Amino acid sequence: MRNYPSESPVSSIGVSTTGADADIRITRLFESMRPDLLRFALWLTRDRALAEDVVQESLLRAWRSREALKDPACSRAWLLTIVRREHARLYERKRLELVSLNDALEHEGGAFLSRDEGDVDALRSAILQLPIEYREPLIMQVLGGFSVDEIARELSLSASAVLTRLFRARNKLRTLYGLTPAPDGSGTEEPS
Amino acid sequence: MICQDARRLIGAEPWATSGELAGHLRDCHACAEFQLEMVALEANIRRALEEPPDIARRRRRIMAQPRWALAASLAVALLATLVVWALRTDNTLAHEVVAHVVAEPQSWSGTDAVSEAALAEVLSKSGLILDATPYSVVYARSCWFRGHYVPHLVVRTAHSLATVLILRNETVEHRQSFHEDGLSGVIVPSTHGSIAVLAASSAQLDDLAERMQRAVRSQDVAR
Repeated sequence: MRNYPSESPVSSIGVSTTGADADIRITRLFESMRPDLLRFALWLTRDRALAEDVVQESLLRAWRSREALKDPACSRAWLLTIVRREHARLYERKRLELVSLNDALEHEGGAFLSRDEGDVDALRSAILQLPIEYREPLIMQVLGGFSVDEIARELSLSASAVLTRLFRARNKLRTLYGLTPAPDGSGTEEPS
Repeated sequence: MICQDARRLIGAEPWATSGELAGHLRDCHACAEFQLEMVALEANIRRALEEPPDIARRRRRIMAQPRWALAASLAVALLATLVVWALRTDNTLAHEVVAHVVAEPQSWSGTDAVSEAALAEVLSKSGLILDATPYSVVYARSCWFRGHYVPHLVVRTAHSLATVLILRNETVEHRQSFHEDGLSGVIVPSTHGSIAVLAASSAQLDDLAERMQRAVRSQDVAR
């Protein structure tokens, strides 16, 4: 577990030392987004502790760069982008110990709490098992509300490559529903 | 556009529409069917992602919570309960709107613009007229909702489809937003009751709702 510097007002909302109204407002705004950010991070990381770390680091980073946020209406997309980058940064900094999700599901009975059987639960499990290159754009699009062009910019891919990844992600999920996958004639992705 | 390209586009953005794609869907029954399937799947994907995955902690962490944080949490929980209680009727309205829209999935498969005569007929059942809007109405039906016939429209925006319910007999005091079953929506007050607007994405909902507010008129006033 990381030690968070005491300068992070976001991790200790309500005790802003500046006393400035603007800082209090932005602290509250950031904190109100925490559940959304955590959900986004959980789908990316598939690990609760790691997701909490990512969100905490992201909020700290966001707080330090709060002057860059000109329009509070854009704060959700801005924060989600920071979370995504913080998640990617983890993989750049060090090779994380990877756990096979199948193994985890099989051996850690309690790690993934059992839920009612059903289509949506099966879908949740399938989404978790999608490779990150398909899961990430799908989550950015569906949860984050990012457009294809925005995802392309963020992932340094061409829009065409993002379309292909989104198509393949959903095509994999189609099979879960007993639907025939659409022919994948999109070929290899072109680098941006 | 060939089927393979159409399906790739639909697979990437099930709700998206473009002139070229709409043209293809008009002529290709198989691809139109594929879009219907993908839209239905998309609703489930959104529902699946709405909740965080139930992943337990792999590492035990001890979070030292200051006392004020606990008190603040309790206060927030109490406030949230009061707000939910105060808004329970309106939330029910939003919930019923979503349930109605979800129960009518064929409304999202329209590709051709509804004729002006058909649209006028649907609106007139509720005593309404719709001025010109920048949107093409691809579905219009008069639906029984909360004891009244209400116009249920699906319009094509620049980016996707959106559902509009004109609720002449439902009043709301101020704008309400909601997110349920993979749909985002707003209900806004109108001179004639209220208007619910729903889409897969919350982008442009308010703009659409505002335009509909301006466009909806009563037949009585128009006479």
